[in-house]
Amino acid sequence: MKENITVIPRHGDSFKDKLFLPAIYDGVKVTFKHLFNNVTDINAVDTLEYPEEQPRDITERYRGLHRLTHRSDDSIACVACFMCSTACPSNCIFIEAIERDDEKDEKMPKSFFIDTLECVFCGYCVEACPCDAIRMDTGIFSLTGNSREDFVMDKEQLLSHKGAFGEENSCARD
Amino acid sequence: MSTLSIVIAIVSFVLGALLALLTIPVLVWLERRIASLVQDRLGPNRTNVFGFRLGGVVQSFADVVKLLLKEEYYPSHIKTGRWLFMLAPVITFSAALLAFMAIPFADTILVDGEALRVQALPIDYGVFWYLAIGAIGVLGVIFGGWLSHNKYALLGAARAGSMVISYELPLGLSILSFIITYNTIDFNAMVQWQSGTFFGFLPAWGILVQPLASIILIVALFAETNRNPFTVAEGESEIVAGFMTEHTAMKFAMYFMGEYVAMNTASAVIITMIFGGYQIPWVSTEMMLQNFSTFAIALMVSVPVIVFLLIKWMRKNNTVRPTVSTDGGRNFETKVLSIALISMTVLIEVILLYLMFFADSALANSITVMLFQIVVFVVKLMLFNIFFILIRWTVPRFRYDQVQHLGWVYLLPLSLLNLFITAIIVVGVT
Repeated sequence: MKENITVIPRHGDSFKDKLFLPAIYDGVKVTFKHLFNNVTDINAVDTLEYPEEQPRDITERYRGLHRLTHRSDDSIACVACFMCSTACPSNCIFIEAIERDDEKDEKMPKSFFIDTLECVFCGYCVEACPCDAIRMDTGIFSLTGNSREDFVMDKEQLLSHKGAFGEENSCARD
Repeated sequence: MSTLSIVIAIVSFVLGALLALLTIPVLVWLERRIASLVQDRLGPNRTNVFGFRLGGVVQSFADVVKLLLKEEYYPSHIKTGRWLFMLAPVITFSAALLAFMAIPFADTILVDGEALRVQALPIDYGVFWYLAIGAIGVLGVIFGGWLSHNKYALLGAARAGSMVISYELPLGLSILSFIITYNTIDFNAMVQWQSGTFFGFLPAWGILVQPLASIILIVALFAETNRNPFTVAEGESEIVAGFMTEHTAMKFAMYFMGEYVAMNTASAVIITMIFGGYQIPWVSTEMMLQNFSTFAIALMVSVPVIVFLLIKWMRKNNTVRPTVSTDGGRNFETKVLSIALISMTVLIEVILLYLMFFADSALANSITVMLFQIVVFVVKLMLFNIFFILIRWTVPRFRYDQVQHLGWVYLLPLSLLNLFITAIIVVGVT
C-alpha cells in the first residue's frame, strides 16, 4: 500500500518563504492591480447602483408580490374557493365571497386581503389555486409603507399589479 | 524678529495642525474607498453638499456629525480610575498629533538673513521628539484597556503591551543607524542630506542608502501605528474591539482618529527619513533657487499636463453606467471642478510668469519653492498613506506571539548587524 501514500509538500521552510517580503510583494501586486483597474475605470466595477439601477436578474421563478389575474373581459378570475387561504401556512389571506351575477361563474370574492407582513412568500397559494387566479410573477421585491395597514393588500391593489413576464390573464378561466 | 518670520511661523503651525487634523476625514474616506476598490466594490460615493460629492469624501464629515451626536455612555461597572479611562483616548490622540509637529514641510527659508524652519514646532531634535512623544501613544491604549475592567479590553491592552516590547527596540536601533548615516537628529538636516546623489546617479534617499534599516523602520512603524498586519490589540474575531470595547461615541472616535493621525505621522516620518521628505529626487533646494527660471518653466509645463490628465480622468470616471437612471449631478460637478482647476492653473501660470520676468525678489522665489515643496510633501504623504491602506487589505493579521518572534528573533539581530556595519563604514569613510 506504500504506493498509495501521497506526500504533501510542506511550504514555509525555504529562505524565500521565511523572508516573507516576496509574498507581501505578490499580495500587493494583486491588490494594486484591482485598485488601479478600478480607479482608471470606475464603471467597470460590477456593482449594482441600487436604487438608481434596478436588478436585471429577476427570473420567472422569482416569487414577488402577489397579484390577482383577470379574465379576457377584465373581470376577476378568482372564484372565491378559499383554496389559497386554506393552503396558506401563515394564515394571511382573508377572503369574503359573494355571488357572481355575470353567468361566468357562481362565486367571486367580495373582498380579498393579503397581509404581506404575515406572508412568508412560500407560493403555496399559487400552487393551490385551481383557476390560476393568484400569481406571484409581478417581479416586485420591495414593498414600503408608513403604517402596518399599508402592507395589507386589498382586492383592487392586487388586481392592479401587472405580471412582469408577459402572461397577463388567467390561463384557467376565460 | 520680522513680521514675515512671525507670519511664516504661524503659517507653518497652521499647516501642521491642518495636515494632521484635516487628513483624518480624508484618510477615513480613502481607507473605505480603497478597501472597496481593492475588493471590486464602490464604497461610499453618494453623500454630497449641493450636489458636490468629491468622490464621496463628504461622507466622513457626516460621520463626524453622527459620532458627535451619539449618546455618551459611561460603563457603570468602572468604579476606580474613571478619569484615566476618560483620558486614555486623549493620550493616544494627542501623542500622535504632537509627534507630527516635528516634521518639516519645506526647507528652511531665509528671511533677512534669518533661517526659518517650516515646521509646526521649530526644533532641531525632531527624531528624539518623535521617539519620545510617539511612544506615549501606546500608554493611552494600555490605560484604556486596563481601566475598562473588561476581559476583552484587558487582553487587548496586554497585547498592546506585548507589541511595544516587540517593536520598540528594532525601531530605535534602525533609527540609530539613520542617525549615524545622516550624522544628525534633525529631520530637516536629514532631508537635506538626502537631496544629494549616491554613486553619482542614484538619489541619496534613505531607502537606497540604508535598505535594511529602511525595511526594519517601515515594519516597526507599521507595528507602532497599530495598523495591519499588526492590529493584534483589536482582533475583532477574538477579543471584540480589544482595548476600545468599552469606549463609546467621541471616546471611541478619539481612538479611531488617533489611529489615523498615527498612520499619517508614521507616513510623514518614513518619507522624511527614507524617501527624501519634501524633495524631489536629484533636485536640492539650492538648485531650484539658483536656476529659478528653469524651475518655473518646468512647473509651467508640468502643471497644465497634470491638470489635463486629472480633468480627463474625472470626465471618464465621474460618470455612471448608461443603465443607471440618474447621474446625481455628476456632470454638473465635473464641469464646475474642471473650470475651477483650469482657472487655478491659469493663475499659477500668471504668477510664475510674473515671478520670472517682472519680479526679481529672492524672497518671492524662495516662497514659491517653499510652496512647491509643501505640495510635494503632501503628495508623497498621501501616496505613502495609500501604501499603508493597501498593505492593510493585503496582509492578514499576525498572532501577537508571531509579532514578538519577528521583533526579537529577526528584526533585533538584523538591526544590530546593520548598526554595526553602518558604524564601521561611517568610521572608515571619515
